[in-house]
Amino acid sequence: MQVEHPKPSWSEKFLVLDLLEGLKTTFREFFKPKVTIRYPEERLEPANRFRGMFRFSYDRCIACKLCAVACPIDIIYIDVHDEMREVDGKQKKLKVLDRYDIDVKRCMFCSLCEEACPTKPKSIWLTTKTYELATYDRNDLYFNMQQLEYWEHRPDITELPEEEPAPKRIAGGTK
Amino acid sequence: MISTPLLMRYLVWPLVKFLVAFLIVQVIVAAMNWIERRALGLVQARLGPNRVGLWGLGQIIADPIKFILKEDIVPSSAEKIAYFLGPMLPLIPAFLVFCLIPFGPPPTFTVTRVNVALLLIIALTSTGVYGIILGGWASNNKYSLMGGLRSAAQMVSYEVPFGLSIVGVLMLCGSFDLVQIVRYQELNAWNFLPQIVACFIFLVSMNAENNRTPFDLPEAESELVAGYHTEYSAMKFAFFMLAEYSAMLVNCCLMVSLFFGGWTLAMGGKGLTTEVMQSMGIAGGVLGAVIFIAKVMFFMMLYVWFRATFPRFRFDQLMDLGWKWMIPLALANIFVTGIFVLVGQERLLYWIGIVTIALTAFYVMRPKAKRIHASRTSEA
Repeated sequence: MQVEHPKPSWSEKFLVLDLLEGLKTTFREFFKPKVTIRYPEERLEPANRFRGMFRFSYDRCIACKLCAVACPIDIIYIDVHDEMREVDGKQKKLKVLDRYDIDVKRCMFCSLCEEACPTKPKSIWLTTKTYELATYDRNDLYFNMQQLEYWEHRPDITELPEEEPAPKRIAGGTK
Repeated sequence: MISTPLLMRYLVWPLVKFLVAFLIVQVIVAAMNWIERRALGLVQARLGPNRVGLWGLGQIIADPIKFILKEDIVPSSAEKIAYFLGPMLPLIPAFLVFCLIPFGPPPTFTVTRVNVALLLIIALTSTGVYGIILGGWASNNKYSLMGGLRSAAQMVSYEVPFGLSIVGVLMLCGSFDLVQIVRYQELNAWNFLPQIVACFIFLVSMNAENNRTPFDLPEAESELVAGYHTEYSAMKFAFFMLAEYSAMLVNCCLMVSLFFGGWTLAMGGKGLTTEVMQSMGIAGGVLGAVIFIAKVMFFMMLYVWFRATFPRFRFDQLMDLGWKWMIPLALANIFVTGIFVLVGQERLLYWIGIVTIALTAFYVMRPKAKRIHASRTSEA
């Protein structure tokens, strides 16, 4: 596409007064308020739709493993056992969650697990406003059930279990 | 054996003065690094370095420490001696020149007073290009060599208008002595009024001489990585930086001495003249030096301002500007000034300057750039 530029007049070409226009602009910009956010001191509040760190609710979860199935990279590990319990005077077979781990270091935050969750409200969701997930050790990004539920009080690195058993693949595409 | 007063007068005092001047210059150069980065940041809607100390002022110390502690890498295929000499050579003239610049009223505030100071300064500063071209060649790197060659071509080209723009001032003042030139300015008018064209040419060519932004082709990062100092690291790179900023400072000192009344705040013999300062004793001298450095810093900030504003020239445009516009303009200025001096009507030259400045101010202050804006939108 041919872009036509306005032809500079003789005075524009000879007396380069446009330069002064540029100098004026930069001079004005110098005093304008700056957009920088001084991160550790100032923090941005993310928008409501922001996808941040996971949050899990043990009480809402029905241990259906749909999230683990939906996960495209199989990083949700779920262990379940059946238990006979008395509900409303009847013996009922209930699924009880033993383990709900997410290997967050491999997670791409696609939120497909959240979409797959059948409970209302969701028992796993990502619309939290936490984005400060950096750790000094990548093993610290392996979260278990308690950590996922109460990460606001994230334990110190020293308080984490010393020997974490290698995550066994239980649910997901490999079964 | 040389007598003690003679020794004091010709060795000790000049050395002490030079050391003081040298230290002040070093502090300004180190501070310039921070000032420039901060100012550029502020123009570009960000904050610039503000983490080290108050307002980031610790950066002034942190940067040299980093330069000293970094590993000094020498390319294995470099020409060792020339590679070593490259950063050293531009430093020597850049520092030596500060002996000749009058920072305050004479005789205390100049290291040496030479009656051809101006010639000596121009001769010394133009040797700075040797270090750049030598360093560029010795690095054994195409980009470095290209940067060095560009720098050589550019500095040689702009040396001509740089020198020619001073001639008008010399004709008015009738002396090569910077002190004499400043004295003339305080008794008549600051030279930027009668020599407005020369002042403009000087401003442009001093930007080009120092390889500063509209003319920073030798180190054009989008084309040549970093030009002549691509292969330099640590202290050797710092020496290049030091030389560049010292040369900037020299040119600003020249600008202030030649066109903006040096250490005085007086025109037509009224105001803060040399006599007033000398009658105040040492305090007056310090006042003069402070005024001088304040003026110099204004021009240093002008460099930064230009860097924040103007995009880089193409190389042929740069040469065009130098040879086709600046040199003829400088020659015309010499011609016109010569006629007025010959007729004995130097006063008329002031009016040219005043009218030019008034028109420019009128252009800048006018409500809106209507004409340009209209022509830009009409094509849509």
